[in-house]
Parts: sequence; structure tokens; C-alpha cells
Amino acid sequence: MDLFLGIDVGSVSTNLVVIDPRGELYLSPLYLRTQGQPIKTVQQGLSLLNERLTKKDRICGVGTTGSARALAAVLVGADLVKNEITSHAVAALHAVPAVQTVLEIGGQDSKIIIIKDGIVVDFAMNTVCAAGTGSFLDQQASRLNLTIEEFGNIALKANNPVRIAGRCTVFAESDMIHKQQMGHSLPDIVAGLCEALVRNYLNNIGKGLEIRPPVVFQGGVAANAGMREAFRKALQTEVIVPKHFDVMGAYGAALLVRDHILEKGVKTNFRGFEVTSQKYQNSSFICQGCPNSCEVIEIKQDDLLLARWGDRCGRWTAAKAETFA
Amino acid sequence: MGVIKIKRVGIPRALLYYYYYPLWHEFFTRLGCEVVLSPETNKAILDQGIKNSLSEACLPVKVYFGHAAYLAGRVDYLFVPRLSRVEAKAYICPKFMGIPDMLRARINKLPPLIDTTVDAGKEGNSVQCWVDCLRDAGNRLAADRKLVEDALDAALEAQQFFWKRLNSGMILTEAIKGTAIPETPVDSSSKPLRIGLIGHPYNIYDPYISMNLIKKLHQLGAVVVTPESLEADEIEEEASKLPKRLFWALGKRMIGSAFRFFSSQKLDGVIYLTSFGCGPEALVEELVARMAKQQNMPLMMLTIDEHTGEAGINTRLEAFTEMIVWRLKYADHIPPYGESVHCR
Repeated sequence: MDLFLGIDVGSVSTNLVVIDPRGELYLSPLYLRTQGQPIKTVQQGLSLLNERLTKKDRICGVGTTGSARALAAVLVGADLVKNEITSHAVAALHAVPAVQTVLEIGGQDSKIIIIKDGIVVDFAMNTVCAAGTGSFLDQQASRLNLTIEEFGNIALKANNPVRIAGRCTVFAESDMIHKQQMGHSLPDIVAGLCEALVRNYLNNIGKGLEIRPPVVFQGGVAANAGMREAFRKALQTEVIVPKHFDVMGAYGAALLVRDHILEKGVKTNFRGFEVTSQKYQNSSFICQGCPNSCEVIEIKQDDLLLARWGDRCGRWTAAKAETFA
Repeated sequence: MGVIKIKRVGIPRALLYYYYYPLWHEFFTRLGCEVVLSPETNKAILDQGIKNSLSEACLPVKVYFGHAAYLAGRVDYLFVPRLSRVEAKAYICPKFMGIPDMLRARINKLPPLIDTTVDAGKEGNSVQCWVDCLRDAGNRLAADRKLVEDALDAALEAQQFFWKRLNSGMILTEAIKGTAIPETPVDSSSKPLRIGLIGHPYNIYDPYISMNLIKKLHQLGAVVVTPESLEADEIEEEASKLPKRLFWALGKRMIGSAFRFFSSQKLDGVIYLTSFGCGPEALVEELVARMAKQQNMPLMMLTIDEHTGEAGINTRLEAFTEMIVWRLKYADHIPPYGESVHCR
């Protein structure tokens, strides 16, 4: 079977999705924790995939997305490197063709995508502040001695969600502690926190945007029943969570690379599953060429330089191109 | 008379340098001074700026401090005009007005500042205010009145030449060099997109502050149009469409340019670059956003601060240009609702 692979390397999770030419999932998606080691995680993901594929399966295209998309692309030999907005939008459109609003909350960032008639017409991402993203929920759950799964379900038991300051997570946390000390019940506090985060999201990221149904909620945080309920309440509309909500970025990258390969009729650059057994060294140095002191990153495979980036002027990036030629 | 020592006048390559450098350079050179311009913003300059300024200042002001600190010790005078009004009835940001005082309070071993005032008052105009400021400055540096007046004439001519070059569509970084080399026109046939870039020149033309924004847009296949290609009258005319006149001179410039971009420049999208913590812009960007919505013009706000990570800006630029391409490609033949057009 001809297959297409999408890889989304984010700050918290690394996801791999394999689809067939019709765009349907071929294998169950992989959701791995990045744990600060993007290279290792991508290798691990590929070797897990390799175990599951048969001899007849052929990877005909690879697309990467996520904050480490450039790194992952070099590693595996990607045919397409796409930003997260486009990837998420394409995946949402595949799951819910009539979608008009995509809410996406991941580990470190959150975004909203407005779609009209099947095309992205507007989007917004969180600015300087990462308040209300998955990492904060993780942190609060562990502070309350709950797993993140319990955390979401407990919120549903609330009778009177308390009001918690949502503008800043530092304030939210002290507000929450205060409410605990006052004797409010745990479900009310947890539900109150979810509502505060949703309010903050809609006020910051959704500011000035018209949120129209169907609304699709995706990204890791969509697993949280409390957050789903809070969105439903705030938007007064059904909130659709697609089946593969937590790997939508990778799914979108796979769909995009499928279109790219089929449209152009080109051969893939995929470097094969040998990638998993190869040793990569990533390192960085500070360029002394000028007062900018750029932090240059380089990726090597057994002393062969694969890529360099991080320099403003391009002298190191260019030097890499020469060694390739 | 002994050896005549040439006075060195330092000009920080920041803030209004991008508006008036040809004027200043010509003036001080004609007076017989050596003009020392600080180098392009780099990490060392920004670090100095952050160290020497206050945390509530916006990034471009911090950068100005960095340039001033670089020049201190390298020049005999630092030209830091006190800017109040560069046109009648419109004010420059109060942080600009206070810059000479802030510099004195924060930077050690500062050379004497030439901090003559630029104030067009209620009746003045955008040329006369500079004549007054520079005449004062000139009289401090040179005893010869005739020399000062001649220098003024030459300086104004240089500035007019600069403005003319900008209006002809020349990109600011070229026009400001003042050399007579005609710019090679951008080959727009190979670039499918026309993007309007709004923002203060000290943000968009400082490649360090803007993280090479213009270059990045070129690489993404866009022709970039900036407010500098518009005539002052055009901008004023558009800005006066607001029910109440804005009294921030530079904010008014942004809003006038934005309105003109929306109505008549045949653009595919507009990017508005602002710096975090900019007071006047907090208001202006909201007005611009509302107008963009009314006109159905794709608009992206980019806020910059002391970040060094470029990933965030790259993702946004890629997503924005892609969204526009996507719109252009499919917007004409889309089924009203339902079936997605992208995924077969």
C-alpha cells in the first residue's frame, strides 16, 4: 500500500500519523511525549511504525509540522514542511467538512482558526503569554494530586463553579489556593478554573473574531472533559471533538503531503527507516563573526553535517549548503 | 590659531533617524562637523539598551538607548533633538520628548547633548520646526551665521530629495543612503502576493528588531509595500476620515496609511508590526483592525519585544501568506457551504 506520513513535533508531544491515498488512517496514530528530546522521540516513533508496517507498505511522502518541524524534516527527509495553522485547519476540514471555527490548545501554545467555505480566512495565536495551555493544566492537576484525566472529569461534578481570575495563570493559581482555603469543594474549584481558562482564551486569542458553529476543539487539551464543557457553556453551542483530536497537526501534515505528492507526481525524499538506527549529534555554538553573537545549531550524522540554522546573516546556513553540493 | 579640531557629532541609528537622517547628516556635515552614525542594531547594542533603559520603555526606545550608549565616548556631541511636534496640532510620543532627560539620567559619561527642541506649535509646519531646531543647534556649534543658514538650505534640499525618492517607491534603506543609484525595480511578476506592511520605520527597517521581516516576506513570495511609498497628503486625507482627529503624529501616519492600503493599493493582505508596550498604538491598532474587517482585508498583527526566537514570527508569516494564497486560489469557486474544497 502507498502511504503518507505526517509528523508533528511539538513542545510536549510528538505525533505520527500514517494515511492511505484516500486520506484514511492506516495505522492507529502514535502519540509520544517529546520530553525535550525531539530527535530521539522522532526516531522512536519511526521504529514503532516500522514494526507495524508490512513489506508491501511503502512511505510515498512525509510532511512535518510543529515547532520542531525544520529539525524533523532534516532528520527524516521530509517532502513538505508546514506551519501548524495550515496543518490543523486541513485536518479539521477533513474530520468536519463544514467546520467554521477551530479551537486548538496544545502544550505550550493555543490558536484559533476561522474557516469560511472550506478556506482559512483568519487565525490568531497566543502572544507573549502562554496562560491557559496544557502545561498549566498539567501543573495544577498535579498540585491537586489528581491525574490530568481525573481533573477533567471532576469538573463535571461541579454545582456552582467558583469565579477564578483567568487573565494570568500566576493570579489564577493564587486565586485557586484562596478558594480552597475558604472551603469550596474541589469540583467547583476545578470547574471554575476551566471556565477561567476558557474566558481568557476567548478574550485574548478569540478577541474580535466571530466564532460560528460548527466549532471543532482539538489539541491535547480537548481530552479534558472540564474544558470541553466550559467551552460549550461559554459559546452556547455544540463543541465537536474529532476522534483523533490529539494528533490533528500530524494528520493535517499527512493530508498536505499526500496532496503535494499526488499533484506533483514526485518521488519522496524520505530517508527510510534506517534513520532510526543512525546516530545524530546536535550541538550549538555562538558565532563570533559579529556583535550579534548568534546561537547556531548544527545537526550531524556520523560527522556528516546535515543542517545548520540560527544565524541571522546566513553564513553558516550557506556553508551547510556547500558541503552538500 | 592652532589646529582646528573637527567636531564629531553622533547620531543614533534608531527612532527618527529613519525619518530625518538625510536632513541631519547634510546639516552637520555642511557645518564642518564629522557625522558619526552608530552601526546597525546588533545584539551588543540591544543588550546595552536594555541595561541602560527602563523596563517600561518600548523596544525601539531601548534600542535608541543602546545606540546612544555605543556613541558615548566616540563623539564630541550627541544629537538628540527634543521632539514635541513635527507638524501642527499633533504630538510625538511623550517618550521621545523625554529622551534627552532619560539619557542623562541613565547613561554615564555622556558627551554633551545637542537637544534643541522641535516644536511646530499650533501654527507651524513640518519644515519650519526643523529649521528652528537646527538653527539653534547650528548656533551652538558655529559662530558663523551665514554658514548655518547655508547648511540649513542644503539640509532641507537633501531631505526633500529623500522624500522624493521614497514617494517614487524606493525602499527606505536604499533611499536613505542618498546616493544617486537608481533602484532596480522589484520583479513583481515572479512574486504572486502584494503585502502591505504597516509599522514605524524604526521597527520595520531595522532588520534586527523586525527579525528581517521584509526579507522573510520576499522569500515567501511577496512584494512588500510600506507607508513610505505614500505621499504625506494622501496619508493626511485618509486619517481625516476618522470622526475625531488623532493627535499622535506617528499614530496618525499609521492609520492613514492603513486606510489607504485597504482602499486603493490592490493588496492581498496587510501586516501591522507593533512594539509591545506602545501606548499610542494600543488605540490605533484597534481602529485599524476594525477597518480591515469592514473592508474584508486579511490583516495580521505582529507584536515584537525582546524575543530572540524567530520560530514564532516564522510560523505566523508562513500561515498568513499561505492563508492568502489559499483564499486567492479557491475563493472564486467555492461551494457556498458544506463540502471542503481542499481535501478531496
